[in-house]
Amino acid sequence: MKGVFSAPGDYIYFKSQVPLHKIPIGSKQWRYYDFGPKIVSPLICLPGTAGTADVFYKQIMALSSKGYRVISVDIPRVWNHHEWIQAFEKFLDAIDVHHVHLYGTSLGGFLAQLFAQHRPRRVRSLVLSNSFLETRNFAAAMPWAPVVGWTPSFLLKRFVLMGIPNGPHEPFIADSVDFVVSQVETLSKDDLASRLTLTADAASVGPVLLSDSFITIMDTNDYCATPQQLKDEVSERYPGARQAYLKTGGDFPFLSRPDEVNLHLQLHLRRVGVEARPDLVRATSKDASDSGGGSSSEPNNDRREDGDDAPKDDRAITPPESPDPPPASESPDSHHSDCHLENSEGTTSAYYLTTLFLHAFFKKEQYSIANYIFLRSTWGFCFLHLLHVYMGTLYID
Amino acid sequence: MPSRRRTLLKVIILGDSGVGKTSLMNQYVNKKFSNQYKATIGADFLTKEMQFEDRLFTLQIWDTAGQERFQSLGVAFYRGADCCVLVHDVNVMKSFDNLNNWREEFLIQASPSDPENFPFVVIGNKIDVDGGNSRVVSEKKARAWCASKGNIPYFETSAKEGVNVEEAFQCIAKNALKSGEEEEIYLPDTIDVASSSQRRSTGCEC
Repeated sequence: MKGVFSAPGDYIYFKSQVPLHKIPIGSKQWRYYDFGPKIVSPLICLPGTAGTADVFYKQIMALSSKGYRVISVDIPRVWNHHEWIQAFEKFLDAIDVHHVHLYGTSLGGFLAQLFAQHRPRRVRSLVLSNSFLETRNFAAAMPWAPVVGWTPSFLLKRFVLMGIPNGPHEPFIADSVDFVVSQVETLSKDDLASRLTLTADAASVGPVLLSDSFITIMDTNDYCATPQQLKDEVSERYPGARQAYLKTGGDFPFLSRPDEVNLHLQLHLRRVGVEARPDLVRATSKDASDSGGGSSSEPNNDRREDGDDAPKDDRAITPPESPDPPPASESPDSHHSDCHLENSEGTTSAYYLTTLFLHAFFKKEQYSIANYIFLRSTWGFCFLHLLHVYMGTLYID
Repeated sequence: MPSRRRTLLKVIILGDSGVGKTSLMNQYVNKKFSNQYKATIGADFLTKEMQFEDRLFTLQIWDTAGQERFQSLGVAFYRGADCCVLVHDVNVMKSFDNLNNWREEFLIQASPSDPENFPFVVIGNKIDVDGGNSRVVSEKKARAWCASKGNIPYFETSAKEGVNVEEAFQCIAKNALKSGEEEEIYLPDTIDVASSSQRRSTGCEC
């Protein structure tokens, strides 16, 4: 029932230019992109519950070509907030970065604030987008968080369709949702389960030592999954922060309104004192577009987006240093864990579940959801057990 | 279902370099003025909560670079503007002559849905200089130009003294609000089938 999702041209170009890094740190597997001059203090992008490191690809391409260093990470498989803080700190140590600027959307923004609260010396500034200060609301809506992995997709879809606002979606916003859904398909059941558990794990942001002038709040003013009340709480907590509201953009403005988001990120970085180094961005874009055939859309995109008068030298990106093992394959299969059957059900269902929870909480339908989940989970158990038995009978001694 | 969203209005300030765009914005938002001139690089913005006719809304005011070589941030901030403010220095004729260019530039970059009726506001700044003696752009001339471009409101201000700045921005906000409210709803393009099938052939009657 899902049509084939064809990746946008600029995303294909991004994948061809920017290597994906996968490194184990401690017991956690980290998947991230790191692009731009290494001596510049990096902007680290933390995605929301349904996002991955890839969703910030437009930011990576645009800001790195301007001379900023952008790192975009997948939220690793952590199960509570203390684990997050420790894991992220180890990650920063592993990539040898001490001072960071954090850009977080929704859950990512919440995690960024937590890290800034507990490790104030490492966080130089914050950009928060559609974020929140505490998970109490989400925790109350998800008492069945442990059985997240058993939810069936078709039932959830029904609920999700009720949750999507009525009326037509503007095309860029619709595209952004499509892209994020396609990214969720690449996530394993455990990844999604860990993120939902993080969202439901009761915690709240305490006092952050960062001065308000180093914080930018970039909320979208139309609909999004984070309730307005929670977003307002963030604005009230940091009254001196720069309010960079976007009139429209939906849940994923970094995809649906990339040039506005990039503009705000540049203004933020400039304001907090990050000096871009465009001189360190070397020229290989000509080669890339020649060899890439039709994939010259990205430089054109950049130019179109910027409308730059300044002379655009041949720019491209410094080859990344790789102290890590060579970047693993970038196919979506790399995310799937052992049992594919279990997975495809789990991933789709978990994304829908995310949106579902955030919308349904306010429709108070959690009880009917719980019933369906438990019914279906019993079926799931039986089916998988029978499958195992069947497979066993196939072996001939 | 969603809780009340605040209304967000976006205002862009355009004009030659040195006419006082940043000072006007600073005077209005922060009630401050600095004599020191520092060219704006690219663009920057400030937000101000406003009340108008018992409604609260947020005004996002974008201050842009007048100098060509500092326009390094591109034109992404033009999108979604609800009102455009054209500023000139009443003591510099060139800045007044360039108003037309700024207006054209804005209409091209922002591509508003209704360019004919897009709200502009013109401000003649620095009326305090030399007690008004070095003034070269007369009020009459400026008002005539504004009238010719569709009755654009005109204000004479001094960002340094704080003269008329509040009034100018109240008018800007009012016009922005009017234009902003009309852009709320997204409607996909529809094809009207009914009108095309009304034409009947005049020949055969059977």
